[in-house]
Amino acid sequence: MIVCLAVVGHQNNPLYIQSFTEADDALKLHHMVHCSVDVIDERVDNPKKSGPTINETFLGLLCPTENYKVYGYLTNTKVKFILVTTDLDVRDADMRTFFRRFHAAYVDAVSNPFHVPGKKITSKTFAERVATIVKSFGLTTTG
Amino acid sequence: MIGVGKIKPYTNVLDRPLSKGKQEVSLSAFAFLFSELVQYNQTQVDNIAELERRLEDAGYAVGARVLELLCHREKGNRRETRLLGILSFIHSTVWKVLFGKVADSLEKGTEHEDEYMISEKELLVNRFISIPKDMGAFNCGAFVAGIVKGVLDNAGFPAVVTAHFVPVDGQQRPRTTILIKFAEEVLQREARLG
Repeated sequence: MIVCLAVVGHQNNPLYIQSFTEADDALKLHHMVHCSVDVIDERVDNPKKSGPTINETFLGLLCPTENYKVYGYLTNTKVKFILVTTDLDVRDADMRTFFRRFHAAYVDAVSNPFHVPGKKITSKTFAERVATIVKSFGLTTTG
Repeated sequence: MIGVGKIKPYTNVLDRPLSKGKQEVSLSAFAFLFSELVQYNQTQVDNIAELERRLEDAGYAVGARVLELLCHREKGNRRETRLLGILSFIHSTVWKVLFGKVADSLEKGTEHEDEYMISEKELLVNRFISIPKDMGAFNCGAFVAGIVKGVLDNAGFPAVVTAHFVPVDGQQRPRTTILIKFAEEVLQREARLG
């Protein structure tokens, strides 16, 4: 179950944060997203330590905490997508598919000429598409 | 009626299926739009430098979006971290998507380490434009320079990009060169990456 999705800009400013649970721990999820941004930065800035695939967009599992897993994805413009999920056995391929669709929705939102880069994404269409992607992802993995 | 051939049985034009459309825009439509853009900006400014800056800003916004779109569509899972990588990406992929062909040449500057040049015999945006003598060295290719700057800045390679006319012996119209001068930090990072 995906509980939280975040898009963080290249100066680590939040562009879009959305949680998908009704529980009150939205703040805790935001905090977790904040910490994972640090993990991403550390992986990106140390090319020698992270091995040969430094320019992959999909960063994989960032940090597993008690009952959440956090996945990261970095686009070419240093915009980071962070995903917090409670599923314990998601496949890598599923994650990549999810991020690919999310990236497509993000590109469409940014191509809007009225969108100011660096400001929050306020498009309702983007929010709806993201909700659809999350719902369909939930159905394919638990179904 | 004899020999009419296949007629789709749609009486109402609204019932016909939507076509996917071509992925191209007509050159004349773009030329008109671009000329309006230049004319509009000309009424707003007092001098050439300001006009160039405005065209560049317009191109910058285009460059940022083009980078996002192309990286998602064409590059799949790779990010460009090397200088030559991003330059060849601009020179081939970006040019192909925007202008329908790859740029004519990509050269490294001889005088300075941080200068690179992309040249084109005739920039598409300049095809129907002639600069009056009193405007001096103004080049509407500043729009394209802005696009390149947008792509480079958002990919993490800050640079100063300008467009220049370079007269060539055999031709009547001068060649256009986009001069890219990278910031200090880009060269340092490049040196560190080896």
